[in-house]
This record gives sequence, structure tokens and C-alpha cells, in this order.
Amino acid sequence: MMWSDDELFRHRRAAPVSTASRVLLGVLIFLGLQSVVLFAVWWFRAEHVSNRLLFVLLSTAVWYGVGRILVGWYNFFHLEQPPAKNAPDGLSVAIFTTASPGEPYEMFVRTLDAARGIAYPHTTYLLDDTRDSRFAALAREKGAVHLELIGFPGAKAGKINAALQRTSEEFILVLDPDHIPLPNFFHSVLGHFDDPRIGFVQVAQAYYNQPRSFVARAAAEQTYAFYGPIMQGMHGSGTTVAIGANCTFRRSALESIGGHGIGLAEDLVTAIRLHAAGWESVYVPEILARGLVPEDLGSFVKQQLKWSRGVYDVLFREYPRAFRRLTFHQKLAYFMIGTYYLVGLTTPIYLLIPALYLWTGVQPAAMFISEYLQHALPVGFFGVLIYRYAQRWLCDPPRERGWHWRGMLLKVGCWSVYLKGLVLALLGVAVPYIPTAKSRQSGNFWRLAAVPLTITITSLATLAAVLVRRFYLMSEAEVRITTEVAAGMVGFLMINVVFMSGRLYAAWKDRTR
Amino acid sequence: MSRRRYQLAFLALGWLLLLGILVQRGVDGALGRTFATVRNDVVSFGQSLSDREAEARQRVQSHSRKEDVARAYPTLTAAVLRNPSRVLYGAYDGALPDSFSGITALESRVGEPFAIISIYQAWGDRPDEADFPLRAASTIDRLGSIPMITWEPWVKDFDDDLRPNLPKSAEREYASLAAIARGDYDFYVTRWATSAAQYRKPVYLRFAHEMNDPYRYPWGPQNGNRPDDFIAAWKHVHLIFQKMNATNVLWVWSPHISMPWFEYYYPGDEWVDWIGTGVLNYGDVAPWSRWWTFHQIVEKAYPALLKLRKPIMVTEFGTVTSGGDAAQWYEQAFRDMHEKYGAIRSVVFFNQTHDVTLSATPLNWSPMQEGRAMRAVASAMQPPSHLAKR
Repeated sequence: MMWSDDELFRHRRAAPVSTASRVLLGVLIFLGLQSVVLFAVWWFRAEHVSNRLLFVLLSTAVWYGVGRILVGWYNFFHLEQPPAKNAPDGLSVAIFTTASPGEPYEMFVRTLDAARGIAYPHTTYLLDDTRDSRFAALAREKGAVHLELIGFPGAKAGKINAALQRTSEEFILVLDPDHIPLPNFFHSVLGHFDDPRIGFVQVAQAYYNQPRSFVARAAAEQTYAFYGPIMQGMHGSGTTVAIGANCTFRRSALESIGGHGIGLAEDLVTAIRLHAAGWESVYVPEILARGLVPEDLGSFVKQQLKWSRGVYDVLFREYPRAFRRLTFHQKLAYFMIGTYYLVGLTTPIYLLIPALYLWTGVQPAAMFISEYLQHALPVGFFGVLIYRYAQRWLCDPPRERGWHWRGMLLKVGCWSVYLKGLVLALLGVAVPYIPTAKSRQSGNFWRLAAVPLTITITSLATLAAVLVRRFYLMSEAEVRITTEVAAGMVGFLMINVVFMSGRLYAAWKDRTR
Repeated sequence: MSRRRYQLAFLALGWLLLLGILVQRGVDGALGRTFATVRNDVVSFGQSLSDREAEARQRVQSHSRKEDVARAYPTLTAAVLRNPSRVLYGAYDGALPDSFSGITALESRVGEPFAIISIYQAWGDRPDEADFPLRAASTIDRLGSIPMITWEPWVKDFDDDLRPNLPKSAEREYASLAAIARGDYDFYVTRWATSAAQYRKPVYLRFAHEMNDPYRYPWGPQNGNRPDDFIAAWKHVHLIFQKMNATNVLWVWSPHISMPWFEYYYPGDEWVDWIGTGVLNYGDVAPWSRWWTFHQIVEKAYPALLKLRKPIMVTEFGTVTSGGDAAQWYEQAFRDMHEKYGAIRSVVFFNQTHDVTLSATPLNWSPMQEGRAMRAVASAMQPPSHLAKR
């Protein structure tokens, strides 16, 4: 479905949190926790251990997944919204937007237009290293200041820090060039800086191109809950991070940590340093700008590799350094963000276990699939129920509400990307920063589909081998006695195939024709 | 802002605790029943899945064990199972219930499938003890055989936390049979009997076996369990099964015939369907044992058993190889059964290769451990030469 610009580019704010809905949410979370405890008590029974190493691996994967559900509940529990505060007159405000080689000129026309349209008095700076003379002309035409900043390190950060030296405004919005801000952007943001402890104010990140492709929808779906109830929960626990785009910083805050952080997850680096330095942050659950989300698989994969590599950098380098100076909730929050992409490590465990059983008969756990379902289903039920219930606090429910299965499929499907990000981070191999493509690219199908296709074919071959073995080679009694286990394992094998289907489908859609 | 949140949380917690207690106490019964039905549904779903698979397999495989059993034992109706015209052979295997491979191997050596598959279950709260072993029984049934469950009242296995009304685990074993007779364990027996009734198919039940042996199980006389207590417990359990409509259960009264006074433990004709007894020759593996033939083990007790006019089942049958000639032992055993012990209507092999119940070094009771012994067993079992006809 397509939405009109009028619908999309409208100021929206997440629904307020009523006491009744908070109590209901609390009850749901309590019942959910109960189901998790019951599941845990059942899972960790000594007699369930069949192969010790595999059981540890499987438990890691399963409980990592349950842990992510708990992380969600923890955030929902802390849900809080800042009151709307009017922006006082007379603040000095700047917008920094960066231009890098390869980014389309037309995009800047629209962004700079919109930046000029922001009602609060401000100066827009175009931080440019394209060496393209058209950009300087465009800046002049749109009433922006053009800063030619060539040869600075980092993605945007080098240029931002250089620009900080040349400007003097007290508040700086770092605006991603693909984002089109609404006129009242600063009215919703600047009021929160009345508290001198506030170092930065983050707003929701939203998109306008998600209906354009499967990948775009999936990528957008992965962010809805985060910029909705989750970030509101992080606001409640004082852990709002600068992330994605459109964060407004206090100049003195940035200067206190030696400028904007540099890395693949620069905003997160900056946020953790600011928090460690004692600055506080505010999350405004409002849509005040909309930008672009990757539309094709190739671009999405590159973006995800950058992000995961960057997030692991924060976990391995920044987190230990900042740890002692973070509040309890911040310690938790950055750890939770830092381990978000570990799905790259747990998915191969899920891929391995059914295949290993079906080929060799080795299984990690002596559990009946029926008993597993009996204990795991309530956890899944409450997981989904609470997720859906918390969607009432999305920033734009009519467009964002849903099961988000595309996002889920693509996240699990891209496990190899996240694993690569982890390996590169551990080895310290750099991933060059290239801005995410702003239009739909195509690629070689076999290259795009290599991982999901291999897994699908291996799984189908395994299924064929299992049928041959059980129908022709095994004794009837043995077949009878192993039906449940084998059916369960085949079920898991097929679930893996389903999880790979999203990335496979996207590869097919984005193949070069 | 933050204070209000925690106030709210505490208020909510109060209600939630109340809710939690409600779940624990009030709704527990209903939930338990629901879970029980769900569990049985899941088991039957698993079994029907197994049926589908077996049907599909039938299309490419001519042979099915159920048909093989039907060929060897054309009628296994409830009446026949109470008093068979042909000796019912059966087996227990150490790999059960996870694998059927041991049974399959023994059957292929014997040349025919077993009518009875024997399994053991202890009382208790562990998941493999908590209820009638519906999954194992259904699988055995679908493979064409009759399950026999040796049901051992290890009352100390009940969880102290879950069972506040019972004495502490360590104090439970003294006079446990009297406690069973008193109804202390009705919560368990009733649930088990209900599930057994739901199973519907015939099943042999061997409750509190070797109750007269003071050296073996906690329900023996060494723990202050008198014969009267055993009989009262047996009748009490039996009555619960009747009340729960578990008339598909066939009761195997199973004393240790080498130990004295077993006759005093007999509950009475209307309470018993079969008499069971183990006949295991320990050879020279223990200081108290020597090489005893089948005849030497059975002979003394047999007249007393015969007086009870019930079919007799050798519920655990086998010999070690140390201290004598196993092949000869089996050969002679089958001959004696045929010639001297016509009341023995069922023999269940104890195909356990790693038995550590009585000795530190594992004992091997499998007839398969010695080729000659195995051949002796196989030829003895070939119809019709040694098959007693009534």
C-alpha cells in the first residue's frame, strides 16, 4: 500500500500512557515472567541433558532468545514519556547535515528545502566532501551555509567535529541527509534542554519509502518497536541513546567529551560517552522527520554489517571503559544493545542441531517435543501478546502496527552478516564507511542468495535422507519409538527453511535481470 | 515521576502476588486436569503421527511387527491374556524406553516377536514417574505387543516441597505399605489409575514386587511392612483402579519365591490375575549364590504357587554365564517348564546387559551374550516341540 505525503509528513506523537494500560501491561508482564520461570524450571532438569556440549549450546541459543524477550519486557515496564515542553525563544540552533560522495544531489534539494522550512530560527550547515560544485550552489540557493570539509576521518563524525570548530550555536541537530524534517521539529525538541543536565534529545526515526519493497518493509519493521515503546522505556530508565538519526546535542556536552564519537556506530559511541560523563538524555516519541530505509537486499546487508560491526565495537571498546561511570540501568541498556546482534551466533546453533540429529542421531537434550511445546508456548504466547499490546505506544500505529514477520525473517535470515560483523570486530578488521545506498540496487542472485539457498538445499537433502532411512533402513520398532523426536527435529529443520525464505525471496526480487 | 512508578509497581505486585497465589492454590486443580488432558492429547497426537508414518512406510515395506505378533499369537484378547493357551514370551531390555534396538535384536535371534514387553516405573514426582507411562505403553501397543509395567513404590521419590502433607522423604520408607493402604498416596495412585483407564488396552501391572524379600526393596519386611500391610495396600490400590474404571489392568502378584513366607502375602483370588516371579541364576558372581538350575530355583515354591490356581509368569528370566554352562541352563529350563511346570504360561526374558542392582560389577543377563546359549533358547522356543499346550 502507498501512503500520501500528507499522511506521512504529519507530526505524530505516541499515545499517552494511562494508569489502566500500565497496570494491564504489568499484569501481562507478571504472567509472562511466570511462564518464563516455569519454562526455566522445566528446561534445566538434569535428566534433559543428553549431550552435554550440545545442551549448553542449545541452552545458550534458547535462553538468549528468551533473554531478548525479557529485555523487551524490562523496557516496556519502564515506559515513560517526557511532557511536551514549549521551546523557549532565543536559543541559538544549528542543523548539521553531511554530504558524501555518491549521495544523490536531488535528495539534498528536498532535505535542504525542508530544513529551511523548520519554523524555529536556526542556521543550516551543509558539511560537504563531495568536491561537487553543485552542492555549494545548492546550499547558497536554499539559505544554508556550505562548509567544504575534506579528508576528515569517520563517517559523519569527522566532519561534524570540524564543523563544531567553525560554528558557535549552542544546540546542534545532526540531520541525516535522507531525512526530511517537519516545520515544528525544534518546537518539540528544544524545550527539553531547559534542564541543564540534558546533553541530547533524540526523536523517533521514521521512513517514507517502506512500502516500496519487501526489504524496505522488513527493515522498517525491525525499527518500529524500538522507536516506539522500547525507546520510551529507555527514556523511563534514563538510558535514551543517540541512535539512527536526528539527534539534537548541546554543544557543551559534545565538547565535554572531545567532540562527536567516531566509528561505525558513531551516535552510540557519542551517547555512551555522554552518559559516562554524567549527561542525561531525553527521548521524544514523536515523528518529526522521515527518511529512507534500504530498499534492496544488497544495501540492507551492507548497512547491517556496518551496524553490527559498530555495535560490537561499542560493546568491546567503549562499554568496558565507560562501565564504572554508567548508572545501573545504563549498564544494562548498553549491554542489551551490544548483544542485540548475537543472533548471528545463536542462529547457526539452531541450524546445526536438527541437522546433526537427523544425520548422526546425536541430540542435545532428551526432551519430548510435546513437553517442550507445553512449556515454551506460554512464553511465546505472552511474548507476542505483550509485543502486540505495547504497540499502542508506537509513534504511528496505523502504519507501524503488525506482526512484523518480514522484519523477523530478514533478521534471522541475515545471521551470517551479523556473525561476520562479530568476527570482524573480534579480529579488529575495519569495515569501510560507505553511506547506505539511497535508491534500489540490484545484484547477482547467486551471490545474494548464497547463504539462504545453501541452507535450504541442505535442509531438503537432509529431509530426503531421513525419509529414506526411516522408510527403508530402520526397523519398524525403532521408527515407532523415535517418531516424536524425529518429527520435532524435521519441524525445526523446516522452521529454519522458513526463516531463510525472507532473505531468499529478497535476493530473488533484487536480482539483476 | 520515578517514585510514582515504583509505588504503582508495588501496588501491582500486591495484586499480582494474590493472583499468583490464586493460580497456585485455587486454579491448580483445574489447571492440572487441563494439562493432563492436553498431555494425553499430545501423546495421542504423537501416536497418530506415528500411525501416519507407519502407514506411509507400509506402502514401501511389506513387513509390520504387529502382523508378525498376530502371526505368532493369533488372538491376544483380554480373555486370552488372562489364561493363554500358548506360552506368552516377552522381554525387558535395558535400552527401553529410548530405544527398541535390544528387543529387535533379541527377536531376530529368537525368530519371532515377543507378546509382552516389560518396562519398569518407580513412584514419584519426576516426570518419568509422575503418571502412567502412556507414551511407552501406546508405542508397545502399536507394535502389537502387551506392555507389562513393574510398578515400584519408591515413596521417597516424592518431592518434599510439592508434598507438604507427607512425612519427609527419609522418614517415608518405614511402614510405607501401611501408609499406602491408609490412603496417603491416593493423590498419586488415583491419577495413575485414571491414565491407565484412559489407555484402555490390556496392560500387566506388577505392583510392589518381591515384597517378601528383606534384602531388596524399601517396601520389604525390613522396613516394618507386615504381610497384612502388603495385602491391605494391594487391595487399596486395586480398589482405586476399579473405581477409576481401569479394568484393563491385569494384576501380577509377584513375590520372591526363594524367600520364605511368600504365601502370607497373597491378597486373595479375586485380587490377582497372575502370579509372577523372577527366575534369575546368579551363578558364582555373589558369595551367597551358586549355579542353580531353573528347576532348583522353582521346585520348592511351585506346589504352593500351584495351589493358588493362577497362571504363572516368569517375569525376569535369565542366567549369567559365570559358573556354569548357560546354553545347558536354558535348554534344561525350557524342558523343565514343559515337563514339570505346566502352570507357567509366560516367560519374560531379562535382556539386561548392564545390571547393577545387586553387584558393583555389572551383570549381563542377555541370552545373546553367548552364541550357544542363544541357539539353545531359539530352538527351545520354536513351535511346536517345547510349547506347552493346555
